Amino acid sequence: MAVEDRRRVTTRLGILQYLIVVLFSLLAVSFWVLQIVEHAKFEELAENNHQRTLALRAPRGLVFDRDMKVLVVNRQSFSISIVREHTKDMNRTIRLLAEVLGYDEAGVRAVVDRHRREPSYRPITIVQDATLQQVAAVTARRLDFELPDVVVEQVPTRQYPATMAAHLFGYVGEVSDAQVSDSEGLKSGDVVGQAGIEKVYNAMLMGEDGAKRVVVNSVGREIRTLDEDEPMEGKRLQLTIDYDVQKAIEDGFDQLGFNGAAVILDPSNGDVLGFTSRPAYDPNAFAAGIDRATWASLTGDEDLPLSDRAIQGRYSPGSTFKMAVATAALQESVITPDFKVHCSGGATFYGRPFKCWKKGGHGTMDLRHAIEQSCNVYFYTIGNMTGIDKIHKWATLLGLGEKSGIDLPNELTGLVPSPEWKQARFKEKWYAGETVSVSIGQSSVAVTPVSMAVYASTLANGGTRVTPHLLKAVDDGTGWKPVAPPAPRSKASFDPEKLQAIRDGLFLVVNGAGTGHNAQLKGYDVSGKTGTAQVISNQGKERAGKTDKDLRDNGWFVFFAPRDNPQIAGVVLLEHGVHGSNAALIAHHLLDTYFAKKEGRPLPPKPEFKANLVP
Amino acid sequence: MFERRLYYHIDWALVVAILALCWLGVIMIYSTTSDPTRGTSHMYVTQLYAIALGLVAMVFTLTLDYRTFADKSHLIYIALCALLLYVLFFGMVQMGARRWIPLRVFNFQPSEFAKVGVALVLAKFFGENRGAAAWTDLAVGGVLTLIPIGLIAKEPDLGTAVTLVPVFLAVAFLAGMRMRILGILCVCLLLASPVAWKFALKDYQKSRISTFLDPSQDAKGAGYQQIQARITVGSGGLKGKGFRQGTQGQLRFLPVAHNDFIFSVLAEEQGFAGVLVALGLYLFVILRALEAARLSKDRLGSYLVLGVLASFTFQVVYNITMSAGLAPVKGLTLPLMSYGGSSMIATLAGFGLVLNVRMRRFTN
Repeated sequence: MAVEDRRRVTTRLGILQYLIVVLFSLLAVSFWVLQIVEHAKFEELAENNHQRTLALRAPRGLVFDRDMKVLVVNRQSFSISIVREHTKDMNRTIRLLAEVLGYDEAGVRAVVDRHRREPSYRPITIVQDATLQQVAAVTARRLDFELPDVVVEQVPTRQYPATMAAHLFGYVGEVSDAQVSDSEGLKSGDVVGQAGIEKVYNAMLMGEDGAKRVVVNSVGREIRTLDEDEPMEGKRLQLTIDYDVQKAIEDGFDQLGFNGAAVILDPSNGDVLGFTSRPAYDPNAFAAGIDRATWASLTGDEDLPLSDRAIQGRYSPGSTFKMAVATAALQESVITPDFKVHCSGGATFYGRPFKCWKKGGHGTMDLRHAIEQSCNVYFYTIGNMTGIDKIHKWATLLGLGEKSGIDLPNELTGLVPSPEWKQARFKEKWYAGETVSVSIGQSSVAVTPVSMAVYASTLANGGTRVTPHLLKAVDDGTGWKPVAPPAPRSKASFDPEKLQAIRDGLFLVVNGAGTGHNAQLKGYDVSGKTGTAQVISNQGKERAGKTDKDLRDNGWFVFFAPRDNPQIAGVVLLEHGVHGSNAALIAHHLLDTYFAKKEGRPLPPKPEFKANLVP
Repeated sequence: MFERRLYYHIDWALVVAILALCWLGVIMIYSTTSDPTRGTSHMYVTQLYAIALGLVAMVFTLTLDYRTFADKSHLIYIALCALLLYVLFFGMVQMGARRWIPLRVFNFQPSEFAKVGVALVLAKFFGENRGAAAWTDLAVGGVLTLIPIGLIAKEPDLGTAVTLVPVFLAVAFLAGMRMRILGILCVCLLLASPVAWKFALKDYQKSRISTFLDPSQDAKGAGYQQIQARITVGSGGLKGKGFRQGTQGQLRFLPVAHNDFIFSVLAEEQGFAGVLVALGLYLFVILRALEAARLSKDRLGSYLVLGVLASFTFQVVYNITMSAGLAPVKGLTLPLMSYGGSSMIATLAGFGLVLNVRMRRFTN
């Protein structure tokens, strides 16, 4: 090589050599900055990159009946959600997902928009109870990396016994925004009880969601689990409900086809043995998120299936109120059980005629037979003698006109009128004539079925106004702990002899010449009283011009059994049931079931009493 | 032919350093591609075969005198251009580019061998001239480089095409191209870049560059890889997360971790310590090769070594910079470490020439 060439090559190679060394030094410094100086920052970013915390839904606590028969369980359902954190193109995701699910694109978009403000790592649930086809379709797309931002989760979902005590169980649903801000510990997306015991005992039933820290890859697929915080199942509840009694009530209503309500209590402590409100809804429809159409049909139904008639329905008690008047007259010593009144089919009070339901009149009779025959004139007379204040006092002590305090949400108060009430409400004086109407349960007297059940219990147990309750025991995983029944609302000291006269009258209603024959059960001394309350006045009937069904009278049957040592008390109300004796049919079936079970006899078969119906 | 004494002049230090880098590469390929939960992948085995084939190629390129190769360089050059043309029409399409000729064992990628071919032909061309290269020489050399560049860019494989530019620049520089001309060339390239931006670059290429300038503008799209690369490297720390313990590479936050981003994975799993070792090995290889250029007994040898070294160095520096998220993402592999048969064989064959020049510095 020529010298000049050699020199040039050497020089220029030298330049290149320095250049290379400088470049590599720069590289080394860059890596030093990234890996040493800024290490902490990038380490955190890497952690966030590959770790996700997933919520594990806690199953809600199971619900049992008083004999530990399972009533409410959980099943596994699949939910399909979008996690926006992984979304690259939301429009594309929505379009694809809607296509895969067979949904309307606008509907999916609306759901996503509703949750837009939530943190992007929180899944937005699109389908709550997905079909297996939907799950399969979405999973296939996920494997193709087409929907990396869509997750399929298994969630425990409530399952209720079909068409049974819907209003008692209530239903669950996604927590509302108002509920989130009202109570601590709830977060958007939680499923909480929205009605019934699901709502009242939500805190117990809910359990604690667990969490799972998982490693995910760049498309959000889970690779492995780092650690897992098992979800804590909600507490198990034992209810006071007796499945067989409940079933008997439901069968009875199914058989008769009326709307209405029934509440059955243990008069000694207020345990609710059976509870129903008709028409009912299917709580299962809510369990995995109710669809719009079902919701609309429930809320738009004129029969109001969502309202709980047992605690929210207020009805005129009719003749069933007569025991309250009798109690007031006896306890205030206005009359004795032997006090007699002559009924000639009607009587005049304060210049106004009041009719008895029996045109020819009942003749002369004492209290026992007045109850048996449900003679209006007798009760007009003693009610008028007793006065509204005392009737109000004793009706209240028996459980009417006040909330029963049952552990269900949104109980309404009935009404037993009083001069104070009238003054406050209408700024009008009480007229003595109104007392006469009140004496047979007319005028503005209004009661809820649950308060009627308390009323029956108080008559049965001799003056203790028990608080109806549904919760019998709780198991938080460490064994069952009984829940003490709530204290009685009041305890009146009833004179046993006077009370016995009323009970005798009620016994005769069922077992004598009264209207309660349908409830008769040999050997169990069923005692009760029918009530048939006009829904609308006769004049009103003509004006209204509605269908006959809407105008038929409501039928009541309040009862307890056996007469002298009552173990069960309650009420059955049939809306437009024509007559209280129809309600007694259901009472008969449930009492038959109750005693058969108690004594270990085979339970009676499903009733067939359509034929016995009073048209 | 091969004389026995030449054996003693083989630069064993360079060979060892090269093999060390290959070994590092195999380890990282094993780490990123074999996933126990998904069955084992045999990519690292394929890579071992490629290394073996590469070593055979290396023995071949150092056995014959490099001057013999240089004498045949025009034939080699023409054959390569023909292959590149063939690929353009009959090549196998993968990932939207026509770059490969499918062979039974692996897919042969002619553009990798074009680097060595261009180095040979340029060394021969400039080596025949005495004194500083003239304008005309530069023009001819430029055209010789541009033909394969054009063919490769057409595949399209802009990344590999660009690696040929340093080959020309380095050889011309060593052949005495005036500094002023070099400056002018650089200015021309700079001036051409807006034109290239407008006409020559595809949309995805534009977005890669614009996101490089501000990765956060498209954190899920094109900027994603760059951000992930930085996170991968940065989270490695001093000692790294350990072999196969890297979360970024293992969980595929980085695309083609065994290929373009293998250095990122090394940085993540072996930490700054591993980075220094790898950087040191590469620096050693490059400086050692530069020494071979300096020691060469003739211009041809010097030019040839530098030509081979130019594309190698360019690719190493660019890939490592990109691995740290400090350069736009480009499909440029890391020679000796990245997965890829053609690249490995061509690179080892190139180093065979480097060894060849060094060990024949005493012969005539």
